Amino acid sequence: MSKNDAIDPELVRELANLVTETGLSEIEVEKGDLRIRVVRRLEPVGVQVAAAPVAALAPPPVQAAPSALAPAEPARNQAGTVPSPMVGTAYLRPSPDAKAFVDVGAKVEVGDKLLLIEAMKTFNEIVAPRAGTVSAIFVEDGQPVEFGEALLVIS
Amino acid sequence: MFDKILIANRGEIALRILRAAKELGIATVAVHSTADADAMHVRLADESVCIGPPAARDSYLNIPSIIAACEITGADAVHPGYGFLSENARFAEVLAHHQIGFIGPKAQHIRTMGDKIEAKRTALKLGIPCVPGSEGGIEDADTAKRVAAEIGYPVLVKAAAGGGGRGMKVARSEAELEQAIGMAKSEAKAAFGDDAVYLEKYLEKPRHIEVQVLGDGRGGAVHLAERDCSLQRRHQKVWEEGGSPALNESMRAEIGGICANAMKELGYLGAGTVEFLYEDGRFYFIEMNTRIQVEHPVTEMITGIDLVIEQIQVASGGPLSVSQSDIKVEGHAIECRINAEHPETFRPSPGEITHYHTPGGLGVRVDSAAFQGYRIPPNYDSLIGKLIVHGRTRNECLMRLRRALDEFVIDGIDTTLPLFRTLVRNPDVQNGLYDIHWLEHFLEDGGMKA
Repeated sequence: MSKNDAIDPELVRELANLVTETGLSEIEVEKGDLRIRVVRRLEPVGVQVAAAPVAALAPPPVQAAPSALAPAEPARNQAGTVPSPMVGTAYLRPSPDAKAFVDVGAKVEVGDKLLLIEAMKTFNEIVAPRAGTVSAIFVEDGQPVEFGEALLVIS
Repeated sequence: MFDKILIANRGEIALRILRAAKELGIATVAVHSTADADAMHVRLADESVCIGPPAARDSYLNIPSIIAACEITGADAVHPGYGFLSENARFAEVLAHHQIGFIGPKAQHIRTMGDKIEAKRTALKLGIPCVPGSEGGIEDADTAKRVAAEIGYPVLVKAAAGGGGRGMKVARSEAELEQAIGMAKSEAKAAFGDDAVYLEKYLEKPRHIEVQVLGDGRGGAVHLAERDCSLQRRHQKVWEEGGSPALNESMRAEIGGICANAMKELGYLGAGTVEFLYEDGRFYFIEMNTRIQVEHPVTEMITGIDLVIEQIQVASGGPLSVSQSDIKVEGHAIECRINAEHPETFRPSPGEITHYHTPGGLGVRVDSAAFQGYRIPPNYDSLIGKLIVHGRTRNECLMRLRRALDEFVIDGIDTTLPLFRTLVRNPDVQNGLYDIHWLEHFLEDGGMKA
């Protein structure tokens, strides 16, 4: 797989149109190392119960890669990245109406709650492994995550 | 029919399951450990989920992780392959509880056949001939001596929770019996967590012959002839052939019929293999494997039936696609299990495959997840792939196997290809004159030394 695909603005525009036309709230495609996600924000984000649909243009599986429309994202393998210890659905807030556990910029101590990962109706607390500042959050509320997936960065 | 199958396995069998699912138009989810992130079946699957670190206990044996992966992908069935959770009755029950299909037998049959003492009792009730032995577990030395005297020495002390050739000790006389029992019990406790043992007559030079069965779960079942897996090293099968060089048509039909009828009575669901030791014209049941087996392609080549597709069909409530009268054995097939091991010392050889070229041509099949540049992880078994060859007769099959083995290139690691190149040229093998001890003796006697 080539590692240096340039981002094609036509593709992004096409995806944006697809999202609008079909009434989807989100579409994500992947080609090689490149993953592009286009999100249409309608209402203030609540807890999404169903996993967002993933439309793949090419067969390869889901991998972590920066999204094209959002402002340039921090790398997901930098020091301080907190990986997911399990498979499940990530929730950034304790309940749909509550505030998020942490926002970008929050200062955390060891053991502070960062997010929840739910699997089989059981909610597991993910806590800070070290003290520091949350410099990036990679997952969205209600997003499925796999083992080892980058959740956030505490620098 | 299922919409999406999650493949709870790795390596060549994961690829095999993926192929069957694709041919049925079913979406696929590959779950994998971090060590298998670049595996071929992971790349080919529609979706993939990393479920844990390399250790099998934390990934491929991690039931909560696999269930969670089903949840986030919406998979409605799991195929467990072989090994790992394939014969874990609890896993089958947990899936049922979550309303996820399990592509395998009913949990109760997995349980019955998983306990070797219970399996034998069940086989006897179903009319399957068994090795003479103790009625159940052996509790004390006096019972052991009495039973052994009845059976006749030599006897084999076997672990009830064992299987796959593990946890067995021979006693050739009463003097050896107590020690054999003691050793078998402590080994069994360590390996399986259960020290229950039973006794069986020890057969000196048997062949290992197994019958492939399929059941629809509603009292319908068929047999798909037998495989001869006598060529083993340390109880691991190395070379398998179908049909057995030792059987003729009528014997095949007879033992096959006994097995099929037993499965009908049991109401067995899915694929299974009834394993026998065969000596002097008689069959002796040793165990039943309630899963698809490594050597299933041998049966597929001689019958033309896709066993994994049948598994998926009956697991989703459908019928078997064949009746007994549809099943015909055509020709002969041989499978060689190619491991990443030194061909003489059998030392494991993980590492990168620098050159990989598979043989081709009529009647040649390679089931492997390897490719050029693939790095064999050290955390799992050493099976690189299987070479399966078919011919219209056993002789044609042997000639074709010889040709195919000579074309096969796997460089960068040690493989057991040289072992097979030697075996295919050996007169005993060519004449089908071997038993379950033959290969070990051949290797001990320096058969692989130039």
